[in-house]
Amino acid sequence: MTATTDDAVAELSIRADATEVSRASAWLEKTGLEHGVPAEQISHLDQCLNEALANIITHGGPAARSSPIRLSLYVHCDAGSGQAAVTVSDSGIAFNPLAYRQKPGPQTLAETEPGGLGIVMMHGYADDIRYRYGEGRNHLTFRVLWIQGG
Amino acid sequence: MSNDAATIDSEDVNENLRIIYIRGRLDIQGTDAIGTKFTVLSATDKHRVVVDLSDVDFLASIGIRSLVTNAKAQQQRGGRMVLFVGENAPVAKVLKTTGIDTVLPMFADAAAAREAALA
Repeated sequence: MTATTDDAVAELSIRADATEVSRASAWLEKTGLEHGVPAEQISHLDQCLNEALANIITHGGPAARSSPIRLSLYVHCDAGSGQAAVTVSDSGIAFNPLAYRQKPGPQTLAETEPGGLGIVMMHGYADDIRYRYGEGRNHLTFRVLWIQGG
Repeated sequence: MSNDAATIDSEDVNENLRIIYIRGRLDIQGTDAIGTKFTVLSATDKHRVVVDLSDVDFLASIGIRSLVTNAKAQQQRGGRMVLFVGENAPVAKVLKTTGIDTVLPMFADAAAAREAALA
């Protein structure tokens, strides 16, 4: 599956605003189910989508609000397996989450840093994550896989 | 998958223990909506708190950030905060995936959660 706009089964544009996040989740659930993505895999994509949008809204800067965030859903199923991916494209500050070095997990509450878990969450829920910067935009794609009937 | 807004309320079980009930979506908007009240309810002089997440529909990292921040504040005051998730498998999975369950005790059984909070 190649993540290009040519083969997206659904697309949505939203503002870089916290009030838009639940609308994006509802869109993902509806379109994912319509295209045969299992509920569990939709929930995994939703976890990643929320973290990606929170990063853009919180850290993307004024540039992130200068044009809509574009969401694209890709689905491919065959007889034995399926895969679905979401690409999040934004005009905010360039940020490659794959370059972020994960810290070892904390051992005590006192030493636990409250932040930095969004990237951990994405790695925990996505089977594959890809990032590129082009046309003045971040393009973050996260993908989930499943076995048909599994 | 529900898109209910987040709500929060509490019940003082006795002079030592408070249960804080959070419901709905703890995404960026929901966490912001309950944030101030959560901090106020957590800052109890009862010192022992169970946060009931069994009716939380969605838990994002910003929601975990709020849990950790308030749990640390409670600990610094000499208290303790534990989490009750009940049968809420998605929320339990988020807490395990991020490793937060290792530093913030999580229980599926309500009585065990209360016992741990008061220990």
